[in-house]
Amino acid sequence: MSDGTRTWLAHGLLQAAARLLERDERDAVLGDLTETGTSAWQGISEVLGLVIRREVARWYDWRPWIAAFGVALPGSLLLMGVSLSVSCTYQRLTGGAVSGVCAPSGHEGFLLLACQALLLLTWAWTGGFFVGSVSRRTLWMSVALCLSPCLRCLSKFHDSSVSGLCLLLFLPPAILGVRYALRNVRMRPATALALAMGATALMIYTWGNSAFWIFNWALILPAWYIAILARSTGRGAGA
Amino acid sequence: MLGEFEYLLITAAAALGENAYGVSIREEIESTTGRQCSLGALYTTIDRLEKKGLLKTWMGEATSERGGRSKRMVRVTPKGVHAAKTFYEAVMRISRGAAWVGS
Repeated sequence: MSDGTRTWLAHGLLQAAARLLERDERDAVLGDLTETGTSAWQGISEVLGLVIRREVARWYDWRPWIAAFGVALPGSLLLMGVSLSVSCTYQRLTGGAVSGVCAPSGHEGFLLLACQALLLLTWAWTGGFFVGSVSRRTLWMSVALCLSPCLRCLSKFHDSSVSGLCLLLFLPPAILGVRYALRNVRMRPATALALAMGATALMIYTWGNSAFWIFNWALILPAWYIAILARSTGRGAGA
Repeated sequence: MLGEFEYLLITAAAALGENAYGVSIREEIESTTGRQCSLGALYTTIDRLEKKGLLKTWMGEATSERGGRSKRMVRVTPKGVHAAKTFYEAVMRISRGAAWVGS
């Protein structure tokens, strides 16, 4: 490789590494490197050093840990179960054949199915909103931890009656929740409280009909966190 | 209480006054202490001190020697001056009578 190619490559890598920084910081850092005449290879090491320090500093806070390991990972596992349960129940109620992958849950009926579907939407949306609100800069980790069990389960899932994609029913509302949070949309305290109370009432009804697992109660926590935060700040959880 | 590097950074920025920004602070620290100062250490410490209210930063003018890119200017706040003074006095007090302190 010629010197010219190496220099061109190094400058390209430096620019790519600098893209990991925020705009103002990127400007200041690249300007500093130009002013001091630092070589492109040394510049890459300096920029990556800064990026790594920035990333590590973000994890000193409790919020990225809660978002990634407290909500995204367990939420993904639980919501895959709920997604499958809703799909199987729908299959059974509409007369479709369902193999042994999903046992009948409680006193099945269309009302209960509607409650489960609404809960799935609410749990997924509030989980996504929570993750997007509290850890937007470490979102990549939350997304990775959410998707890795999904991909694993999808690859292992083999059933003739329901598609493997049924496991992922929760993903669209979860993505919408994240997008809503990233757009800095403020949720009014009354709306957030109504959402949490509505979801809790639905859960009590559904739980009374033995239609979900005890650990699914954990899925209501993001909704109540959002409600409490919106009330305490008075400015909305997305702020 | 400040850390050692935080104290060095505040003191260098205070000494540089209106000309305190990334490159000048880094050069001041390196020439005074003889230690290498990485961009990562410099900018993450500036951020931390700004969050504590000890420094204020803003984007300055772009110059041709910087390839048309802006400087991140730094100013020490009164709270920063107080923190540095407290750190310095503590070091002076604890150093009294130490074998390496000249008479």
